[in-house]
Amino acid sequence: MKINVNEQPIELDQQANIEQLLTFLDSPLKGSAIAVNQKIISRSEWANYKLQENDQVSLFQAIAGG
Amino acid sequence: MDNKIINKMNNDQLIIAGKAFSSRLFTGTGKFNDQATMVAALQASNSELVTMALKRIDMQSKEDDILAPLIKSGMNLLPNTSGARNAKEAVFAAQLAREALQTNWVKLEIHPDPKYLLPDPIETLKAAETLANLGFVVLPYVHADPVLCKHLESAGCAAVMPLGAPIGSNKGIKTAEFLEIIIEQANVPVIVDAGLGAPSHAALAMEMGADAVLVNTAMAVAGDPVAMSRAFAKAVEAGREAYLAGLGGQSQVAVASSPLTAFLEAG
Repeated sequence: MKINVNEQPIELDQQANIEQLLTFLDSPLKGSAIAVNQKIISRSEWANYKLQENDQVSLFQAIAGG
Repeated sequence: MDNKIINKMNNDQLIIAGKAFSSRLFTGTGKFNDQATMVAALQASNSELVTMALKRIDMQSKEDDILAPLIKSGMNLLPNTSGARNAKEAVFAAQLAREALQTNWVKLEIHPDPKYLLPDPIETLKAAETLANLGFVVLPYVHADPVLCKHLESAGCAAVMPLGAPIGSNKGIKTAEFLEIIIEQANVPVIVDAGLGAPSHAALAMEMGADAVLVNTAMAVAGDPVAMSRAFAKAVEAGREAYLAGLGGQSQVAVASSPLTAFLEAG
């Protein structure tokens, strides 16, 4: 299935949940936040939230800042 | 030193939203040359609260994981909403930050103009009201505006963070007269944020009665960030102690420190 992560097309072999997506992207679970189609998905839902074809995923990460 | 002041200093804790801090120096994680220097500098500062930003990541270039060493050092994290241009974006950023860092504390900053990075008072107040209602511990970055600070307090903010000078300018406290009014009127902690470029600036803020200061750039861009962070820690302590000790009043004319009784002339 195809989804977009921060405007970048990503092809997944099979339907994935958010935790699986982050693992696939080699992105740290800690310090990350996710919105799917502009809706923030709480960390507690990541393991159960199944991504759908053409979902627009926004991935945010904590970085240095003052 | 007077025992009363020693006792005051020993029991001197800053409480924000029920959380106690021994250090009144808050720091930021931006602009350090490398991660090891950042961690060493923040440790040298004794800071217990450090700010972080949140970024929509670029899939082509991965960011360093700066979180792990900070958590390992036992720092409390204060995510900011930097990059938000209005209340709506700031509320969204705060909600993302809460998920990313698992904290409901947020440094609310909305500065649409990249040249001076001055905070937008109208959008900040709007966002503060919304975020406080959503259960966030809101620390808004604002201009040194006493009226706005009272509005933010009424909106449920846990502290106010008025600026000394524009972010990263290192100009020091250009807003002293207004900070004094804010400090006098506030029922929430006042954290002087932005523009503090030297330890003496931080000491001055503390002598004025600020509850804490937030310093980032001045440490990060110093010749030796670790030594500079230590210097800021000392300045904040000295300024706080001076405030608790009670500064002497100022006078337009000289007030002699030595007896002026004649001793060379014959009485």
